[in-house]
Amino acid sequence: MVELTVDGRTIQATEGELLVHVLARNGVFVPTLCHDAKLDPYGGCRVCVVEVEGAPRPVPACATRAAQGMAISTNGRAEKLRRTLTEMLLTEHLNANPGGRPNELVGLAEELGAEAPFILPDAKREPYEDRNRLMGYDPDACILCNRCVRYTQEVMQCSALSLEGRGPEARIVPTWDRSWLDTECELCGGCLSVCPTGAIYEKFEEGFPANREVQLDKVKTTCTFCGVGCQIDLNVDRETNRIVKVTSDPSYLPNEGDLCVKGRFAFNFVHHPDRLTEPLVRGEDGELHETSWEHALAVAAKGLEEVRDRHGPQSIGFLASARLTMEENFLIQKLARAVIGTNSVHSCEAT
Amino acid sequence: MGRGASTNSIPEIDDDRFLLVIGSNTTEAHPVLALRMKKAVRNGATLVVADPRKIWLTKIAKRHLQLRPGTDVWLLNAIMHVILEEGLQDEEYIRAHTEDFEAVREIVKRYPPEQAERMTGVPAEDIRATAREYAAEKYAAVFYTLGITEHACAVDNVWSLSNLVLMTGHLGYESTGLNALRGQNNVQGLNDAGANPSYLPGYQSLTDPEVVLKFEERWGAKVPQTPGYRLDQMISGLHDGRIKGLYLVGENPAHTEPNAHHVEEGLERVEFMVAQDLFLNETTRDHADVVFPASSFAEKEGTFTNTERRVNRVRKALDSPGSAREDWRIVVDFANALGAGWWYETAEDIWNEFADLSPNWSGIRYDRLEEVGLQWPCTDLDHPGSRFLHAPRPDRAGGRAKFFPVEYQPPIEQPDSEFPFVLSTGRTLYHYNSAGMTMREPGVTDKQVEPFFEISAEDASNLGLEEGDLARLVSRRGELEAEARITERVYPGLVWMALHFAQAKVNWLTHDVGDPLIGTPEYKVSAVRIERA
Repeated sequence: MVELTVDGRTIQATEGELLVHVLARNGVFVPTLCHDAKLDPYGGCRVCVVEVEGAPRPVPACATRAAQGMAISTNGRAEKLRRTLTEMLLTEHLNANPGGRPNELVGLAEELGAEAPFILPDAKREPYEDRNRLMGYDPDACILCNRCVRYTQEVMQCSALSLEGRGPEARIVPTWDRSWLDTECELCGGCLSVCPTGAIYEKFEEGFPANREVQLDKVKTTCTFCGVGCQIDLNVDRETNRIVKVTSDPSYLPNEGDLCVKGRFAFNFVHHPDRLTEPLVRGEDGELHETSWEHALAVAAKGLEEVRDRHGPQSIGFLASARLTMEENFLIQKLARAVIGTNSVHSCEAT
Repeated sequence: MGRGASTNSIPEIDDDRFLLVIGSNTTEAHPVLALRMKKAVRNGATLVVADPRKIWLTKIAKRHLQLRPGTDVWLLNAIMHVILEEGLQDEEYIRAHTEDFEAVREIVKRYPPEQAERMTGVPAEDIRATAREYAAEKYAAVFYTLGITEHACAVDNVWSLSNLVLMTGHLGYESTGLNALRGQNNVQGLNDAGANPSYLPGYQSLTDPEVVLKFEERWGAKVPQTPGYRLDQMISGLHDGRIKGLYLVGENPAHTEPNAHHVEEGLERVEFMVAQDLFLNETTRDHADVVFPASSFAEKEGTFTNTERRVNRVRKALDSPGSAREDWRIVVDFANALGAGWWYETAEDIWNEFADLSPNWSGIRYDRLEEVGLQWPCTDLDHPGSRFLHAPRPDRAGGRAKFFPVEYQPPIEQPDSEFPFVLSTGRTLYHYNSAGMTMREPGVTDKQVEPFFEISAEDASNLGLEEGDLARLVSRRGELEAEARITERVYPGLVWMALHFAQAKVNWLTHDVGDPLIGTPEYKVSAVRIERA
C-alpha cells in the first residue's frame, strides 16, 4: 500500500494501481472516454487529465499508476483542461447520434458546460458502407479513441479492425479494407459495446426510428445459446412487443459484459413468422391442421393413453431438452415417471 | 470423483497458469468462456491444446498435440506414464484422497510415449513436456467437451482425464480441476433435473427405497422400478417395436442423431407422437400427431444452470405469439388432460418442489437469484454456493475419489480402401445444432450459409478439388454434397464437417454405435470417401 493525497485529502492505494480507479474508489469523479478497465492503459483522449505535483505537465489518470507520496489535483487547472479537450473533440464531432446509442461525449459536454466553439473545416470524414447486416460505422461520430480496435486486439485477440489514415482522413476500418464479413471479425459486437460515442452502431430493421432507443425496457435474463450462461439484457420495445437488441453489462457474471455473435445478434428467431402459434393435430388427410388447445390436448392424451393401454408404459419414450428450463425438464421427467409410469426420459445431450 | 459437473468456476480461469484444452473448440463452442482463456494466456499462462484440428486456440497455444481422432486414451495414458516414470505424481494426495491407484499405475506402464507417438501422431517429446508442465503447476486446469465424449469410448476418455487430475492432486481449490464445458445452455440443468433414465432429480438413486419413498410421498404416485431406455435405445426400440409412442420437447432427432436415415425409418413406425416446439422441424413435420406451439426463452420464467453449476434466472420479456404457451404450462396441461391433477401456478412452484426434494439444491430459491446466480451444491438458505468442488476432500461417498484403469479401444469404424477418410464433426460459431434458430438469422448466416467441409490441401489436390468445389461425401450409411474448404486446420486423411446444415446433414453419414455404458454417439469418427460432385 502507498499513501497519496487527492485535492489535499490523504488516501491509500495499492502501488501501481491506475489513478482513475483509485480516484473512483474514493468518490472523485474524473471523466473518461477511451478508458476501459478490460483493456491495457492507453491515455488517448486525455479527458481524464489530473495534475501531479512535480510532473512537468498534466497526466492522464487512466494511464498513470499510483506511487508513494503523489500529490494529485483533480480540480482547478485540470478541470479547465478537460473542458478544452472536450471542446476540441466536439469540433470534429459532426453526428452525435448515428444509431441512437448513448453518447458519452455528449453527456460529458453537458456536464462540463462545453460546447464546440466552431466546427473544423476538414471535420467531415469519408463514410463507407459495409454489406454486413448487423453493424455500421459513422466516422462523423468517431473520436478515434481506438477502444474498438484495442478490444479486438486485446480481448478477442484478432485483427478485425484497424485505425487507418492520419489527421482528417483518420477512421476505423475493417482490416485490409475488406468487408467485416471477410476479415477475422466474428461479429461479436464487442466494438459496438465499448464505443463511447455510438460511432459503431446496430443496424436496425428498416423503419425503426433511432430515437425509440430511449424507451426500451431492459429485462435481465440468461442467454439461450451455450453452457457459459452469459447474463444479458433483452431490450424490449413495449409498443411493438419486440426485442430490439441485446446488451450486457460489465458487472454481470460470468461474462462481464462480453457476448458472442449469437448471444448479441441471434434473437430474431423469437419473432420469426415460422413460429408456431396454434396447436396442430394431424387429420385424416395426413396433414397437420390448426386447432384449439382443448381439442389438441384431448387428442394427445387419448393417443398416448391408447399406446399405453395397448403396449404398456414402457412403450412410451420422452425426449426432454437442454433448450428448456430446469423447471420444465423436471416436469417432463415427472410426467414420464409419475403420470405415464416409465423411466424412459432422456435427451440428445447424453454427454 | 462423484459428481457430474465441472469442478471449478469460469472466473477462476483468469488465474490459471496452465491450461490443457482437450476435445474442445472453445472459441467457437463457448466463445465468451474462451475470452478468459485468451486473457490467461495473455497474462503468461501456458496453453496446451489437444485436438485433431488446428483450431483457433492453437494460434496462442504453446503446443498443439494434434492427435488422431479417437486416440485420446493413448495420449492421456502416455502423459500419465511420464508422470509416474519421473515421479511427478502427488503421492500425498493419492494416499489421502483416492483409491485403486495401483491399477492405473500398472496399466499406464504399457503406454510409453514413443509408442504413443505411433498411435496418436503426437511427438513423444511433446507428450513428455506436457506431462512435466502439467504436473509441476499448481494452478493447472483441464477443459474438455464433446471431442472427449462423442466417442464410443466416451466414458473411458473421461475416466482417463479423471485419473490424470487425481494422480497430480489438481482438485479441491481454485483455478484447477477437471472442467466439462457444457454444450447447450441448460445441459447441466437438464441432468440435474433428472431427465435421465438412470436417476431421479438431483442425481438421486432410483433403487434407494428411502429416496423413492420421498418422491412417492411428494408426488402421490409410484416411481416405476423398471429401468428406462436411453435415447439410443428408444431409437432402436422404434425399429424392434419396444417403443410405440414418443413425447418430444424441443428436439429434432431426425437431424441431430447419428445415422439419420436409420432414425427416419424408425420414426415412420411410431404409433403416436406428441411434440412441443417453436417451429416445425424434420421430425415433427412428417411424424408428429399433435404439435403444441411452445415458448422461446424470452417468453418465460425459470432457470438455466450453466457449465459452472450456477443456477441463473431466465425472465419473461415478451408474451408468446398467438396462443403459444410456456413449455411448462403445456406439460402441466397435458398431465392434467391425463387426469394428473397438477396445481403449479408459476415456474417457482416447480423449482421449489425440485429444491425440496434435492438436498444439494435445497438452499437455492428464487429470491436468492435476483442479482447473481448460485452454484450448487447449496444445501441450506445460508449456504453461499460452491465455487469449486471436492474440497476439502472428494465429494464421492466415503470421501475418496476412485481411479479407473482404462485400456485403449480403437474407434468403431476405421478408414479402409473403400472409405479412406476419417470424418469428424462438430459445430461452428455461427450456428446452433440443427440451426432451427440460427438459419433464421440472416445477419449471422451471412457469415456462413452453404454446407462445407474442411479438407487438407494434399487430399484436395489428389482428388482434383479446388476451394469451393462441390464434392460428394459418402459413408456406409448415406451421402451428401458440400463445398470443399481447403485448410491447414485438418491434416491429410482427416475431413471435418459441421452438423448444422439441413440440406446436407452430416448425420446421414455418421454411425450409431455409441458408448456401451451411456450410449453417447461417436460423432467424432466415421469413415467416408470423397468424390467430385
